[in-house]
Amino acid sequence: MMDLLSHYKYVFQMQFLRNAGFLVFMALIQILISIGIVIGFTYLIPDPDTSTILFLATGAPTIILIMTGLVILPQQVGTAKADGYMEFMRTWPVNRSVILGAETTIWLLITVPGIVVSSFVAHLMYSPGYDISWTIIPALLMIALTSIGVGYGFSYLLSPTASLGISQVVVFGALMFSPVNFPMDRLPEWLQTLHEFLPIYSMAEVMRASLAASTFEASTWNYLNLFIWCILGYGGAIFILNKK
Amino acid sequence: MMILNVENVTKTFTGKGKSKTVANDNLSFRINKGEIFGLLGQNGAGKTTLVNQILGVLTPDSGDIHLLGKSILESPARARSICSVQPQSQVPLGFLTPKQAVTLIGKMRAGKTFDPKRVEMLFEALDMGEWANREGEKLSGGARRLTAFCMAVVVPGKLVILDEPTNDVDPVRRRLLWQVIRNLTDDGTSVILVTHNVMEAEKVVDRVAIINQGRLLAEGSPSEIKRSVSNQMRMELSLSEELADIEMPSWVLSAHRNGARLLFSVDPSYVSSSLDWAKAQEDKGLVIDYSLSPTTIEDAYIELTSREVIES
Repeated sequence: MMDLLSHYKYVFQMQFLRNAGFLVFMALIQILISIGIVIGFTYLIPDPDTSTILFLATGAPTIILIMTGLVILPQQVGTAKADGYMEFMRTWPVNRSVILGAETTIWLLITVPGIVVSSFVAHLMYSPGYDISWTIIPALLMIALTSIGVGYGFSYLLSPTASLGISQVVVFGALMFSPVNFPMDRLPEWLQTLHEFLPIYSMAEVMRASLAASTFEASTWNYLNLFIWCILGYGGAIFILNKK
Repeated sequence: MMILNVENVTKTFTGKGKSKTVANDNLSFRINKGEIFGLLGQNGAGKTTLVNQILGVLTPDSGDIHLLGKSILESPARARSICSVQPQSQVPLGFLTPKQAVTLIGKMRAGKTFDPKRVEMLFEALDMGEWANREGEKLSGGARRLTAFCMAVVVPGKLVILDEPTNDVDPVRRRLLWQVIRNLTDDGTSVILVTHNVMEAEKVVDRVAIINQGRLLAEGSPSEIKRSVSNQMRMELSLSEELADIEMPSWVLSAHRNGARLLFSVDPSYVSSSLDWAKAQEDKGLVIDYSLSPTTIEDAYIELTSREVIES
């Protein structure tokens, strides 16, 4: 146990320092993107009402977590695969899930500034009706872990080119064709069915239910869905890491 | 004491269209405590595949590898804590400085017992002080290669595997590097040195194995390997004019003339006669300069691997 903890500490330091400059840059970009979603979409919609703004404001954190786990992370994994760093990590005298755990912490940390700042800005500008419940902490963790886990799963499994392709589709799909920034019923029926099974809709619902608890609620299925995707993602990643 | 025992290891890769590449073909050898073992072979000979199996990153199709008496197949994680490795490709350090990278790997391996003085010692021995606190991205190829070397040897474990450690490193630091490797074995650490730079390896290794197309061609001390091929000496002369007429002594074995260059081999017992003869030719003005050298391990290596090509 002591071993695991100290390994976790050193792997964390190693990965954090190695990417230090990049991480600061990414955290800044995410602050801009999340503020951009709240403010930018109000230009797209003439005279948005409070409920529309609340949808945008409670959707922005989910977008940040999706971007981190399913877009930036797969790109980083692709680079690590291509330049041989992945192969090098596999020779370290530590448990492979420790590496995954330490990296997950780093990805989690860089999403926090974006989420906090954008929610603050949205509240000051529009007061859309935030009602933050204590469930925000477990909800955030669950959404982040699902997103990061799934990102690891497919980027470890697939070639760097294929996972880059997927992450491009995810950015576009999450922003325009997913019920994150608008209600589900605006989508065609087949896309609604698809989103019942994909993790994005569940992420958005769980996030909303914690940020504006008096307006929204998430179903048990949403939580279960996230849990399944989270296990699938991390399970796949650990399987690939230990594969020979 | 035996550290590593590789027994009949075979590893095949299936490529596109079900084509098969035999990377390791029934390889067997042993490595003893405190020994520097050279693994020589051309590009694609199967050296790195073998290393990855020793580390438990790849599993052999058949055969077994024992590390300190226990099979690696049973516990690959144990193999990673006993062995430390410098990979053939550069380690991308990103924003890490050499000092941070080496210290963190040291702590990962030794935990609380890690002594940071070891990092200082290594950097001093390799004359790396000026780079210690510079970000990895800004370092030259040689400095990064040396950093990866230090990461492998800072807490060496029982077996250190170095895959082409001298690539990109300048001649002065190469010498320092060989010294550090030698010192490792004084503490009982064994070293596997993977390289195709045969000449350089000859001076440091205790034993070598030559691998070609996945198969073990020869194994033994450098002098044993050379003897297995030939024990002749080689004389090389530059003639003063291309058409110079030189009478060859009777003890010349195989002579070869190419323009103003004359090459021949002699039995070691005729070394002094050869030198006297060459000196006499030089005095006559027929020869500009001459040199006499023993068969190098490179000659042996080339002969062994080319024999293999002819046979196959």
